[in-house]
Amino acid sequence: MNEESRLRGIVLDVVTIAVLALVLLPIIWVFIASIRPDADIMTRSLIPARITFDHFANIFARADFLVALRNSLIVGAIVAICTVLIAIPAAYSLSRFTYLGRDFIGFLILATQMLPAVAVLVPIVVIIRSLGMANTLTALTFTHLALGLPIAVWMLKGYIDAVPRELEEASIIDGSSQIGAMFRITLPLIRPAVVAVGTFAFVLSWGEFILALALITSAEVKTLPLALQTLFDPYSFSWGVVMAGGVVIAAPTIVLFLLFRNQLVGGLTAGGIKG
Amino acid sequence: MTVPTADTERRPFGDIALPYALVAPAVLVALAIAVIPLLYALWLSFQDWYLLRNPQPVWGGLVNFQALFADAALWRAFWRTWIWTIGTVAVEVALALPLALLLNRDTTIARMASALILLPWVMPFIVLGYGWRFLLDSEVGALHSVFQFFGLAGNSSILNDPNLALAIIIFISGWKGMPFMVLALLAALKSIPGELYEAAAIDGASPWQRFTTITLPAIQNTMLIIGLVLGILAFYSFDLPWIMTRGGPQDATTVLGISMYKAVFTDLRPAYAAAISVVMLAILAVASFLSLKLRRRQ
Repeated sequence: MNEESRLRGIVLDVVTIAVLALVLLPIIWVFIASIRPDADIMTRSLIPARITFDHFANIFARADFLVALRNSLIVGAIVAICTVLIAIPAAYSLSRFTYLGRDFIGFLILATQMLPAVAVLVPIVVIIRSLGMANTLTALTFTHLALGLPIAVWMLKGYIDAVPRELEEASIIDGSSQIGAMFRITLPLIRPAVVAVGTFAFVLSWGEFILALALITSAEVKTLPLALQTLFDPYSFSWGVVMAGGVVIAAPTIVLFLLFRNQLVGGLTAGGIKG
Repeated sequence: MTVPTADTERRPFGDIALPYALVAPAVLVALAIAVIPLLYALWLSFQDWYLLRNPQPVWGGLVNFQALFADAALWRAFWRTWIWTIGTVAVEVALALPLALLLNRDTTIARMASALILLPWVMPFIVLGYGWRFLLDSEVGALHSVFQFFGLAGNSSILNDPNLALAIIIFISGWKGMPFMVLALLAALKSIPGELYEAAAIDGASPWQRFTTITLPAIQNTMLIIGLVLGILAFYSFDLPWIMTRGGPQDATTVLGISMYKAVFTDLRPAYAAAISVVMLAILAVASFLSLKLRRRQ
Protein backbone atom coordinates (compact mmCIF):
# COMPACT_ATOMS: atom_id res chain seq x y z
CA MET A 1 0.00 0.00 0.00
CA ASN A 2 2.71 2.46 1.03
CA GLU A 3 4.96 1.38 -1.83
CA GLU A 4 2.03 1.78 -4.19
CA SER A 5 1.19 5.31 -3.07
CA ARG A 6 4.84 6.33 -3.37
CA LEU A 7 4.92 5.02 -6.92
CA ARG A 8 1.72 6.89 -7.60
CA GLY A 9 3.31 10.07 -6.26
CA ILE A 10 6.32 9.68 -8.54
CA VAL A 11 4.13 9.04 -11.58
CA LEU A 12 2.05 12.12 -10.79
CA ASP A 13 5.22 14.20 -10.37
CA VAL A 14 6.41 13.10 -13.78
CA VAL A 15 3.01 13.92 -15.26
CA THR A 16 3.14 17.32 -13.54
CA ILE A 17 6.50 18.15 -15.09
CA ALA A 18 5.33 17.07 -18.54
CA VAL A 19 2.08 19.05 -18.32
CA LEU A 20 3.88 22.11 -16.96
CA ALA A 21 6.38 21.99 -19.82
CA LEU A 22 3.52 21.77 -22.30
CA VAL A 23 1.64 24.69 -20.76
CA LEU A 24 4.76 26.87 -20.64
CA LEU A 25 5.99 25.78 -24.07
CA PRO A 26 5.06 29.06 -25.80
CA ILE A 27 7.14 30.94 -23.22
CA ILE A 28 10.03 28.49 -23.42
CA TRP A 29 9.93 28.88 -27.20
CA VAL A 30 10.38 32.64 -26.97
CA PHE A 31 13.48 32.19 -24.84
CA ILE A 32 14.97 29.56 -27.14
CA ALA A 33 14.33 31.59 -30.29
CA SER A 34 16.09 34.57 -28.77
CA ILE A 35 19.40 32.71 -28.56
CA ARG A 36 19.50 30.82 -31.84
CA PRO A 37 20.56 32.02 -35.29
CA ASP A 38 17.75 33.02 -37.64
CA ALA A 39 18.70 30.20 -40.01
CA ASP A 40 18.06 27.68 -37.21
CA ILE A 41 14.75 29.30 -36.25
CA MET A 42 13.51 28.32 -39.71
CA THR A 43 14.00 24.63 -38.83
CA ARG A 44 11.19 24.84 -36.22
CA SER A 45 12.84 22.28 -33.95
CA LEU A 46 12.76 22.77 -30.20
CA ILE A 47 16.34 21.84 -29.35
CA PRO A 48 18.77 24.61 -30.26
CA ALA A 49 21.71 23.26 -32.25
CA ARG A 50 23.72 26.46 -32.10
CA ILE A 51 23.57 29.26 -29.57
CA THR A 52 24.11 32.91 -30.40
CA PHE A 53 23.75 36.17 -28.53
CA ASP A 54 23.73 38.20 -31.74
CA HIS A 55 20.06 39.10 -31.34
CA PHE A 56 20.69 40.67 -27.95
CA ALA A 57 23.79 42.46 -29.27
CA ASN A 58 21.63 43.65 -32.15
CA ILE A 59 18.84 45.17 -30.06
CA PHE A 60 21.20 46.71 -27.52
CA ALA A 61 22.98 48.41 -30.41
CA ARG A 62 19.75 50.06 -31.56
CA ALA A 63 19.36 53.62 -30.32
CA ASP A 64 15.52 53.49 -30.33
CA PHE A 65 15.50 50.37 -28.17
CA LEU A 66 17.93 51.87 -25.66
CA VAL A 67 15.84 55.03 -25.43
CA ALA A 68 12.76 52.90 -24.78
CA LEU A 69 14.65 50.89 -22.16
CA ARG A 70 15.63 54.09 -20.40
CA ASN A 71 12.07 55.45 -20.57
CA SER A 72 10.61 52.23 -19.19
CA LEU A 73 13.13 52.22 -16.34
CA ILE A 74 12.38 55.85 -15.48
CA VAL A 75 8.60 55.43 -15.60
CA GLY A 76 8.70 52.11 -13.72
CA ALA A 77 11.01 53.43 -11.00
CA ILE A 78 8.99 56.61 -10.43
CA VAL A 79 5.74 54.63 -10.41
CA ALA A 80 7.19 52.17 -7.87
CA ILE A 81 8.48 54.94 -5.57
CA CYS A 82 5.29 57.01 -5.77
CA THR A 83 3.09 53.95 -5.28
CA VAL A 84 4.96 53.10 -2.08
CA LEU A 85 5.01 56.70 -0.83
CA ILE A 86 1.27 57.09 -1.39
CA ALA A 87 0.23 53.59 -0.32
CA ILE A 88 2.01 53.43 3.05
CA PRO A 89 0.26 56.42 4.68
CA ALA A 90 -3.05 55.46 3.07
CA ALA A 91 -2.82 51.88 4.33
CA TYR A 92 -1.77 53.13 7.76
CA SER A 93 -4.71 55.49 7.88
CA LEU A 94 -7.19 52.78 6.86
CA SER A 95 -5.70 50.28 9.29
CA ARG A 96 -5.06 52.31 12.45
CA PHE A 97 -7.76 54.98 12.61
CA THR A 98 -11.51 54.92 12.76
CA TYR A 99 -13.11 57.92 11.16
CA LEU A 100 -16.15 59.03 9.24
CA GLY A 101 -15.99 57.83 5.62
CA ARG A 102 -13.17 55.36 6.14
CA ASP A 103 -15.02 52.39 4.73
CA PHE A 104 -16.16 54.39 1.74
CA ILE A 105 -12.62 55.59 1.05
CA GLY A 106 -11.33 52.03 1.29
CA PHE A 107 -14.02 50.89 -1.12
CA LEU A 108 -13.26 53.74 -3.54
CA ILE A 109 -9.58 52.83 -3.68
CA LEU A 110 -10.34 49.15 -4.19
CA ALA A 111 -12.96 49.88 -6.84
CA THR A 112 -10.32 51.56 -9.00
CA GLN A 113 -8.52 48.23 -9.05
CA MET A 114 -11.56 46.51 -10.52
CA LEU A 115 -11.79 49.11 -13.26
CA PRO A 116 -10.02 47.90 -16.43
CA ALA A 117 -7.78 50.42 -18.21
CA VAL A 118 -9.90 50.08 -21.36
CA ALA A 119 -12.92 51.43 -19.46
CA VAL A 120 -11.29 54.80 -18.78
CA LEU A 121 -9.05 54.94 -21.83
CA VAL A 122 -11.12 57.37 -23.92
CA PRO A 123 -11.68 60.05 -21.26
CA ILE A 124 -8.08 59.79 -20.04
CA VAL A 125 -6.72 60.23 -23.55
CA VAL A 126 -9.01 63.20 -24.24
CA ILE A 127 -8.19 64.85 -20.91
CA ILE A 128 -4.45 64.36 -21.28
CA ARG A 129 -4.48 65.66 -24.84
CA SER A 130 -6.45 68.74 -23.89
CA LEU A 131 -3.94 69.40 -21.12
CA GLY A 132 -1.28 69.25 -23.83
CA MET A 133 0.42 66.33 -22.08
CA ALA A 134 0.20 63.68 -24.77
CA ASN A 135 3.62 62.28 -25.59
CA THR A 136 5.01 63.02 -22.16
CA LEU A 137 6.40 60.52 -19.70
CA THR A 138 4.81 62.56 -16.91
CA ALA A 139 1.30 61.75 -18.12
CA LEU A 140 2.15 58.10 -18.69
CA THR A 141 3.71 57.83 -15.22
CA PHE A 142 0.64 59.35 -13.62
CA THR A 143 -1.77 56.95 -15.34
CA HIS A 144 0.48 54.01 -14.44
CA LEU A 145 0.06 54.91 -10.77
CA ALA A 146 -3.47 53.54 -10.98
CA LEU A 147 -2.19 50.10 -11.99
CA GLY A 148 -0.65 49.02 -8.70
CA LEU A 149 -1.76 51.56 -6.12
CA PRO A 150 -5.08 50.01 -5.02
CA ILE A 151 -3.58 46.54 -4.53
CA ALA A 152 -0.63 48.17 -2.76
CA VAL A 153 -2.91 49.96 -0.30
CA TRP A 154 -4.91 46.84 0.46
CA MET A 155 -1.90 44.55 0.75
CA LEU A 156 -0.08 46.93 3.08
CA LYS A 157 -3.25 47.43 5.11
CA GLY A 158 -3.34 43.68 5.68
CA TYR A 159 0.27 43.68 6.85
CA ILE A 160 -0.21 46.70 9.13
CA ASP A 161 -3.35 45.07 10.59
CA ALA A 162 -1.12 42.16 11.58
CA VAL A 163 1.33 44.37 13.52
CA PRO A 164 0.09 44.58 17.13
CA ARG A 165 -0.98 48.10 18.16
CA GLU A 166 0.68 47.54 21.54
CA LEU A 167 4.09 47.88 19.92
CA GLU A 168 3.24 51.38 18.70
CA GLU A 169 1.54 52.31 21.96
CA ALA A 170 4.66 51.42 23.88
CA SER A 171 6.64 53.69 21.62
CA ILE A 172 4.10 56.51 22.04
CA ILE A 173 4.32 56.20 25.82
CA ASP A 174 8.07 56.58 25.43
CA GLY A 175 7.37 59.97 23.91
CA SER A 176 7.13 59.58 20.14
CA SER A 177 4.18 60.79 18.09
CA GLN A 178 1.87 58.42 16.27
CA ILE A 179 3.61 59.17 12.97
CA GLY A 180 6.96 58.66 14.65
CA ALA A 181 5.77 55.29 15.91
CA MET A 182 4.67 54.36 12.42
CA PHE A 183 8.11 55.16 11.03
CA ARG A 184 10.12 53.58 13.81
CA ILE A 185 8.05 50.54 14.74
CA THR A 186 5.59 49.53 12.03
CA LEU A 187 7.46 50.44 8.88
CA PRO A 188 10.54 48.28 9.59
CA LEU A 189 8.25 45.35 10.38
CA ILE A 190 6.40 45.54 7.09
CA ARG A 191 9.48 46.33 4.99
CA PRO A 192 9.33 43.07 2.97
CA ALA A 193 5.76 43.85 1.97
CA VAL A 194 6.74 47.40 1.03
CA VAL A 195 9.47 46.09 -1.26
CA ALA A 196 7.06 43.58 -2.79
CA VAL A 197 4.44 46.25 -3.42
CA GLY A 198 6.97 48.55 -5.07
CA THR A 199 8.19 45.68 -7.22
CA PHE A 200 4.66 44.86 -8.20
CA ALA A 201 4.00 48.45 -9.28
CA PHE A 202 7.22 48.48 -11.30
CA VAL A 203 6.39 45.25 -13.10
CA LEU A 204 2.85 46.38 -13.95
CA SER A 205 4.16 49.64 -15.40
CA TRP A 206 7.02 47.89 -17.23
CA GLY A 207 4.72 45.66 -19.29
CA GLU A 208 1.78 48.05 -19.65
CA PHE A 209 0.67 48.38 -23.27
CA ILE A 210 -2.64 50.07 -23.99
CA LEU A 211 -2.13 53.36 -22.11
CA ALA A 212 1.33 53.70 -23.63
CA LEU A 213 -0.08 52.93 -27.07
CA ALA A 214 -2.82 55.51 -26.68
CA LEU A 215 -0.73 58.29 -25.14
CA ILE A 216 2.66 57.96 -26.82
CA THR A 217 3.47 58.35 -30.49
CA SER A 218 6.86 60.01 -30.70
CA ALA A 219 9.94 57.81 -30.65
CA GLU A 220 11.83 59.60 -27.89
CA VAL A 221 9.18 58.86 -25.23
CA LYS A 222 8.24 55.31 -26.28
CA THR A 223 8.39 52.59 -23.67
CA LEU A 224 9.62 49.04 -24.23
CA PRO A 225 6.31 47.40 -25.24
CA LEU A 226 5.94 50.04 -27.97
CA ALA A 227 9.56 49.64 -29.02
CA LEU A 228 8.99 45.92 -29.46
CA GLN A 229 6.35 46.75 -32.04
CA THR A 230 8.80 48.88 -33.99
CA LEU A 231 11.24 45.96 -34.09
CA PHE A 232 8.64 44.48 -36.44
CA ASP A 233 10.05 46.25 -39.46
CA PRO A 234 7.90 44.87 -42.27
CA TYR A 235 10.77 44.85 -44.76
CA SER A 236 13.57 43.34 -42.79
CA PHE A 237 12.86 41.90 -39.41
CA SER A 238 14.28 38.91 -37.68
CA TRP A 239 12.15 36.77 -35.37
CA GLY A 240 15.25 36.24 -33.29
CA VAL A 241 15.57 39.97 -32.63
CA VAL A 242 11.87 40.34 -31.80
CA MET A 243 12.05 37.39 -29.41
CA ALA A 244 15.20 38.81 -27.80
CA GLY A 245 13.29 42.06 -27.27
CA GLY A 246 10.50 40.02 -25.72
CA VAL A 247 12.98 38.35 -23.37
CA VAL A 248 14.33 41.75 -22.29
CA ILE A 249 10.78 42.80 -21.39
CA ALA A 250 9.86 39.49 -19.76
CA ALA A 251 13.09 38.92 -17.81
CA PRO A 252 12.65 41.46 -14.99
CA THR A 253 9.03 40.41 -14.63
CA ILE A 254 10.00 36.77 -14.20
CA VAL A 255 12.96 37.42 -11.89
CA LEU A 256 11.03 39.76 -9.62
CA PHE A 257 8.06 37.41 -9.65
CA LEU A 258 10.19 34.49 -8.52
CA LEU A 259 11.79 36.65 -5.80
CA PHE A 260 8.50 37.94 -4.39
CA ARG A 261 6.28 35.01 -5.27
CA ASN A 262 4.53 34.67 -1.94
CA GLN A 263 3.65 38.33 -1.51
CA LEU A 264 2.55 38.62 -5.12
CA VAL A 265 0.30 35.58 -4.89
CA GLY A 266 -1.27 37.21 -1.85
CA GLY A 267 -1.68 40.42 -3.82
CA LEU A 268 -3.19 38.69 -6.81
CA THR A 269 -5.80 36.96 -4.73
CA ALA A 270 -6.51 40.10 -2.70
CA GLY A 271 -6.90 42.22 -5.81
CA GLY A 272 -8.98 39.74 -7.66
CA ILE A 273 -11.27 38.34 -5.03
CA LYS A 274 -11.88 41.14 -2.57
CA GLY A 275 -14.33 43.86 -3.40
CA MET B 1 -19.85 53.05 8.19
CA THR B 2 -17.92 54.03 11.26
CA VAL B 3 -19.33 56.36 13.87
CA PRO B 4 -17.02 59.00 15.31
CA THR B 5 -16.36 58.37 18.97
CA ALA B 6 -17.99 60.54 21.59
CA ASP B 7 -14.84 62.39 22.48
CA THR B 8 -14.31 63.64 18.93
CA GLU B 9 -15.00 67.24 19.92
CA ARG B 10 -12.38 67.25 22.58
CA ARG B 11 -9.62 66.06 20.24
CA PRO B 12 -7.51 68.76 18.63
CA PHE B 13 -8.17 69.43 14.97
CA GLY B 14 -4.80 67.98 14.02
CA ASP B 15 -5.77 64.59 15.38
CA ILE B 16 -9.02 64.53 13.44
CA ALA B 17 -7.39 65.67 10.21
CA LEU B 18 -4.42 63.30 10.44
CA PRO B 19 -6.03 60.11 9.04
CA TYR B 20 -7.65 62.10 6.22
CA ALA B 21 -4.35 63.74 5.37
CA LEU B 22 -2.63 60.36 5.26
CA VAL B 23 -5.18 58.82 2.92
CA ALA B 24 -5.67 61.95 0.78
CA PRO B 25 -2.99 61.32 -1.88
CA ALA B 26 -4.38 57.84 -2.61
CA VAL B 27 -7.90 59.26 -2.84
CA LEU B 28 -6.66 62.00 -5.19
CA VAL B 29 -5.14 59.39 -7.50
CA ALA B 30 -8.38 57.38 -7.45
CA LEU B 31 -10.37 60.53 -8.25
CA ALA B 32 -8.04 61.64 -11.02
CA ILE B 33 -7.69 58.29 -12.73
CA ALA B 34 -11.07 56.66 -12.13
CA VAL B 35 -13.85 58.92 -10.89
CA ILE B 36 -13.19 62.06 -12.96
CA PRO B 37 -12.55 60.13 -16.21
CA LEU B 38 -15.76 58.17 -15.71
CA LEU B 39 -17.81 61.32 -15.16
CA TYR B 40 -16.07 62.97 -18.09
CA ALA B 41 -16.82 59.97 -20.31
CA LEU B 42 -20.48 60.24 -19.35
CA TRP B 43 -20.52 63.94 -20.27
CA LEU B 44 -18.58 63.28 -23.46
CA SER B 45 -20.99 60.57 -24.56
CA PHE B 46 -23.72 63.24 -24.88
CA GLN B 47 -21.58 65.50 -27.05
CA ASP B 48 -21.43 65.64 -30.82
CA TRP B 49 -17.74 65.55 -31.60
CA TYR B 50 -16.37 64.36 -34.90
CA LEU B 51 -12.86 65.74 -35.18
CA LEU B 52 -12.97 66.09 -38.96
CA ARG B 53 -16.09 68.28 -38.78
CA ASN B 54 -15.93 70.22 -35.53
CA PRO B 55 -12.78 70.58 -33.47
CA GLN B 56 -14.71 71.30 -30.26
CA PRO B 57 -17.44 69.14 -28.74
CA VAL B 58 -21.00 70.52 -28.95
CA TRP B 59 -24.04 69.18 -27.13
CA GLY B 60 -25.55 66.37 -29.15
CA GLY B 61 -27.96 64.73 -26.75
CA LEU B 62 -28.46 61.10 -27.61
CA VAL B 63 -26.88 61.36 -31.05
CA ASN B 64 -24.04 58.97 -30.17
CA PHE B 65 -26.35 56.40 -28.65
CA GLN B 66 -28.60 56.54 -31.69
CA ALA B 67 -25.60 56.03 -33.95
CA LEU B 68 -24.40 53.22 -31.71
CA PHE B 69 -27.61 51.25 -31.98
CA ALA B 70 -27.63 51.67 -35.76
CA ASP B 71 -24.00 50.60 -36.14
CA ALA B 72 -24.11 47.09 -37.62
CA ALA B 73 -20.35 46.55 -37.27
CA LEU B 74 -20.55 47.52 -33.61
CA TRP B 75 -23.38 45.03 -33.02
CA ARG B 76 -21.24 42.32 -34.59
CA ALA B 77 -18.37 43.34 -32.29
CA PHE B 78 -20.80 43.25 -29.36
CA TRP B 79 -21.89 39.66 -30.00
CA ARG B 80 -18.32 38.69 -30.82
CA THR B 81 -17.26 40.09 -27.43
CA TRP B 82 -19.73 37.76 -25.72
CA ILE B 83 -18.36 34.78 -27.65
CA TRP B 84 -14.89 35.98 -26.72
CA THR B 85 -15.76 36.43 -23.03
CA ILE B 86 -17.60 33.14 -22.57
CA GLY B 87 -15.02 31.29 -24.67
CA THR B 88 -12.14 32.72 -22.66
CA VAL B 89 -13.70 31.74 -19.34
CA ALA B 90 -14.58 28.28 -20.68
CA VAL B 91 -10.97 27.73 -21.76
CA GLU B 92 -9.76 29.01 -18.39
CA VAL B 93 -11.94 26.55 -16.49
CA ALA B 94 -11.18 23.67 -18.85
CA LEU B 95 -7.42 24.19 -18.46
CA ALA B 96 -7.39 25.17 -14.81
CA LEU B 97 -9.53 22.43 -13.28
CA PRO B 98 -7.36 19.44 -14.30
CA LEU B 99 -4.22 21.45 -13.55
CA ALA B 100 -5.43 22.37 -10.08
CA LEU B 101 -6.34 18.75 -9.33
CA LEU B 102 -2.91 17.66 -10.51
CA LEU B 103 -1.07 20.33 -8.50
CA ASN B 104 -3.06 19.78 -5.30
CA ARG B 105 -0.41 17.52 -3.78
CA ASP B 106 2.21 18.23 -1.18
CA THR B 107 5.38 17.36 -3.07
CA THR B 108 8.30 19.60 -3.97
CA ILE B 109 7.56 19.22 -7.67
CA ALA B 110 3.90 20.14 -7.21
CA ARG B 111 4.81 23.21 -5.15
CA MET B 112 7.35 24.40 -7.71
CA ALA B 113 4.91 23.77 -10.53
CA SER B 114 2.19 25.73 -8.71
CA ALA B 115 4.53 28.71 -8.74
CA LEU B 116 5.76 28.39 -12.32
CA ILE B 117 2.25 27.88 -13.67
CA LEU B 118 1.63 31.56 -12.86
CA LEU B 119 4.06 32.72 -15.53
CA PRO B 120 1.50 33.22 -18.33
CA TRP B 121 -0.50 35.43 -15.95
CA VAL B 122 2.40 37.64 -14.87
CA MET B 123 4.11 38.01 -18.24
CA PRO B 124 3.19 41.09 -20.28
CA PHE B 125 0.70 40.68 -23.13
CA ILE B 126 3.15 42.15 -25.61
CA VAL B 127 5.68 39.35 -25.04
CA LEU B 128 3.13 36.54 -25.10
CA GLY B 129 1.33 38.03 -28.09
CA TYR B 130 4.47 38.14 -30.18
CA GLY B 131 5.51 34.72 -28.88
CA TRP B 132 2.26 33.22 -30.13
CA ARG B 133 2.50 35.11 -33.42
CA PHE B 134 5.91 33.54 -33.82
CA LEU B 135 4.54 30.05 -33.10
CA LEU B 136 1.71 30.54 -35.59
CA ASP B 137 3.78 32.20 -38.31
CA SER B 138 3.51 30.46 -41.66
CA GLU B 139 7.24 30.59 -42.35
CA VAL B 140 8.87 29.86 -39.00
CA GLY B 141 6.04 28.79 -36.67
CA ALA B 142 6.31 25.37 -35.05
CA LEU B 143 2.62 25.32 -34.19
CA HIS B 144 1.78 26.30 -37.75
CA SER B 145 3.42 23.14 -39.06
CA VAL B 146 1.43 21.10 -36.53
CA PHE B 147 -1.80 22.70 -37.75
CA GLN B 148 -0.69 22.15 -41.32
CA PHE B 149 -0.08 18.48 -40.57
CA PHE B 150 -3.63 18.10 -39.26
CA GLY B 151 -5.03 19.99 -42.24
CA LEU B 152 -6.27 22.92 -40.12
CA ALA B 153 -3.98 25.44 -41.75
CA GLY B 154 -3.03 25.81 -45.38
CA ASN B 155 0.00 27.71 -46.56
CA SER B 156 -0.92 30.86 -44.69
CA SER B 157 -1.11 31.22 -40.93
CA ILE B 158 -4.43 30.46 -39.26
CA LEU B 159 -4.31 34.05 -38.01
CA ASN B 160 -5.33 34.97 -41.56
CA ASP B 161 -8.44 32.79 -41.41
CA PRO B 162 -11.36 34.74 -39.86
CA ASN B 163 -12.94 31.84 -37.94
CA LEU B 164 -9.77 30.11 -36.84
CA ALA B 165 -8.11 33.38 -35.86
CA LEU B 166 -10.90 34.16 -33.40
CA ALA B 167 -10.82 30.60 -32.03
CA ILE B 168 -7.06 30.51 -31.50
CA ILE B 169 -6.92 33.97 -29.92
CA ILE B 170 -9.75 33.01 -27.56
CA PHE B 171 -7.69 29.97 -26.61
CA ILE B 172 -4.60 32.12 -26.03
CA SER B 173 -6.67 34.54 -23.97
CA GLY B 174 -7.87 31.63 -21.83
CA TRP B 175 -4.35 30.24 -21.53
CA LYS B 176 -3.12 33.64 -20.29
CA GLY B 177 -5.88 33.93 -17.68
CA MET B 178 -5.86 30.27 -16.60
CA PRO B 179 -3.20 30.60 -13.84
CA PHE B 180 -5.43 32.90 -11.83
CA MET B 181 -8.14 30.26 -11.85
CA VAL B 182 -5.60 27.57 -10.90
CA LEU B 183 -4.46 29.69 -7.97
CA ALA B 184 -8.01 30.15 -6.70
CA LEU B 185 -9.01 26.51 -7.24
CA LEU B 186 -5.89 25.30 -5.44
CA ALA B 187 -6.82 27.41 -2.43
CA ALA B 188 -10.34 25.99 -2.51
CA LEU B 189 -9.11 22.40 -2.91
CA LYS B 190 -6.72 22.75 0.02
CA SER B 191 -9.59 23.77 2.28
CA ILE B 192 -11.45 20.48 1.74
CA PRO B 193 -10.89 18.28 4.81
CA GLY B 194 -9.13 15.01 3.93
CA GLU B 195 -11.47 13.06 6.22
CA LEU B 196 -14.28 13.53 3.71
CA TYR B 197 -12.34 11.58 1.10
CA GLU B 198 -11.33 8.89 3.59
CA ALA B 199 -14.95 8.43 4.67
CA ALA B 200 -16.07 8.25 1.05
CA ALA B 201 -13.35 5.72 0.24
CA ILE B 202 -14.53 3.55 3.15
CA ASP B 203 -18.07 3.76 1.82
CA GLY B 204 -16.73 2.43 -1.47
CA ALA B 205 -17.18 5.58 -3.58
CA SER B 206 -15.34 5.54 -6.89
CA PRO B 207 -12.86 8.35 -7.69
CA TRP B 208 -15.41 9.89 -10.07
CA GLN B 209 -18.13 9.78 -7.39
CA ARG B 210 -15.75 11.38 -4.92
CA PHE B 211 -15.01 14.12 -7.45
CA THR B 212 -18.66 14.88 -8.20
CA THR B 213 -19.98 14.61 -4.63
CA ILE B 214 -17.11 16.13 -2.60
CA THR B 215 -14.68 18.08 -4.77
CA LEU B 216 -17.00 19.78 -7.21
CA PRO B 217 -19.52 21.13 -4.65
CA ALA B 218 -16.61 22.46 -2.57
CA ILE B 219 -15.01 24.44 -5.40
CA GLN B 220 -17.96 25.49 -7.53
CA ASN B 221 -18.49 28.80 -5.75
CA THR B 222 -14.84 29.74 -6.22
CA MET B 223 -15.08 28.71 -9.85
CA LEU B 224 -18.16 30.89 -10.33
CA ILE B 225 -16.77 33.99 -8.64
CA ILE B 226 -13.34 33.83 -10.24
CA GLY B 227 -15.03 33.03 -13.54
CA LEU B 228 -17.00 36.27 -13.21
CA VAL B 229 -13.88 38.28 -12.35
CA LEU B 230 -12.02 36.79 -15.31
CA GLY B 231 -15.10 37.27 -17.48
CA ILE B 232 -15.14 41.00 -16.70
CA LEU B 233 -11.45 41.20 -17.58
CA ALA B 234 -12.05 39.31 -20.84
CA PHE B 235 -14.98 41.57 -21.70
CA TYR B 236 -12.54 44.50 -21.60
CA SER B 237 -9.87 42.79 -23.69
CA PHE B 238 -7.82 44.90 -26.01
CA ASP B 239 -4.13 44.05 -25.78
CA LEU B 240 -4.15 40.47 -27.02
CA PRO B 241 -6.40 40.75 -30.11
CA TRP B 242 -4.73 44.04 -30.99
CA ILE B 243 -1.21 42.65 -30.76
CA MET B 244 -2.10 39.42 -32.55
CA THR B 245 -4.24 40.66 -35.45
CA ARG B 246 -5.22 44.34 -34.94
CA GLY B 247 -8.82 43.12 -34.84
CA GLY B 248 -8.56 41.46 -38.27
CA PRO B 249 -8.76 39.58 -40.54
CA GLN B 250 -11.95 41.31 -41.78
CA ASP B 251 -12.86 42.42 -38.24
CA ALA B 252 -12.98 38.76 -37.18
CA THR B 253 -11.24 39.49 -33.87
CA THR B 254 -12.60 43.01 -33.32
CA VAL B 255 -13.98 42.97 -29.79
CA LEU B 256 -15.58 46.05 -28.22
CA GLY B 257 -12.28 47.28 -26.78
CA ILE B 258 -10.85 47.42 -30.29
CA SER B 259 -14.01 49.05 -31.73
CA MET B 260 -13.68 51.73 -29.09
CA TYR B 261 -9.98 52.28 -29.73
CA LYS B 262 -10.56 52.54 -33.48
CA ALA B 263 -13.44 54.97 -32.92
CA VAL B 264 -10.99 57.39 -31.26
CA PHE B 265 -7.81 56.84 -33.19
CA THR B 266 -8.94 55.78 -36.68
CA ASP B 267 -12.36 57.38 -37.06
CA LEU B 268 -11.52 60.40 -34.84
CA ARG B 269 -14.88 60.25 -33.04
CA PRO B 270 -13.97 60.50 -29.32
CA ALA B 271 -17.54 61.23 -28.22
CA TYR B 272 -18.79 58.12 -29.99
CA ALA B 273 -16.01 56.10 -28.34
CA ALA B 274 -17.03 57.55 -24.99
CA ALA B 275 -20.59 56.38 -25.63
CA ILE B 276 -19.28 52.86 -26.32
CA SER B 277 -17.34 52.89 -23.06
CA VAL B 278 -20.40 54.13 -21.15
CA VAL B 279 -22.47 51.25 -22.52
CA MET B 280 -19.67 48.81 -21.67
CA LEU B 281 -19.58 50.21 -18.14
CA ALA B 282 -23.32 49.77 -17.77
CA ILE B 283 -22.92 46.12 -18.77
CA LEU B 284 -20.02 45.77 -16.33
CA ALA B 285 -22.09 47.32 -13.56
CA VAL B 286 -24.91 44.82 -14.14
CA ALA B 287 -22.43 41.94 -14.22
CA SER B 288 -20.73 43.11 -11.00
CA PHE B 289 -24.10 43.53 -9.32
CA LEU B 290 -25.05 39.97 -10.25
CA SER B 291 -21.68 38.67 -9.06
CA LEU B 292 -22.10 40.45 -5.71
CA LYS B 293 -25.57 38.99 -5.33
CA LEU B 294 -24.27 35.51 -6.09
CA ARG B 295 -21.49 35.95 -3.57
CA ARG B 296 -23.89 37.04 -0.83
CA ARG B 297 -25.98 33.97 -1.40
CA GLN B 298 -23.13 31.53 -0.90
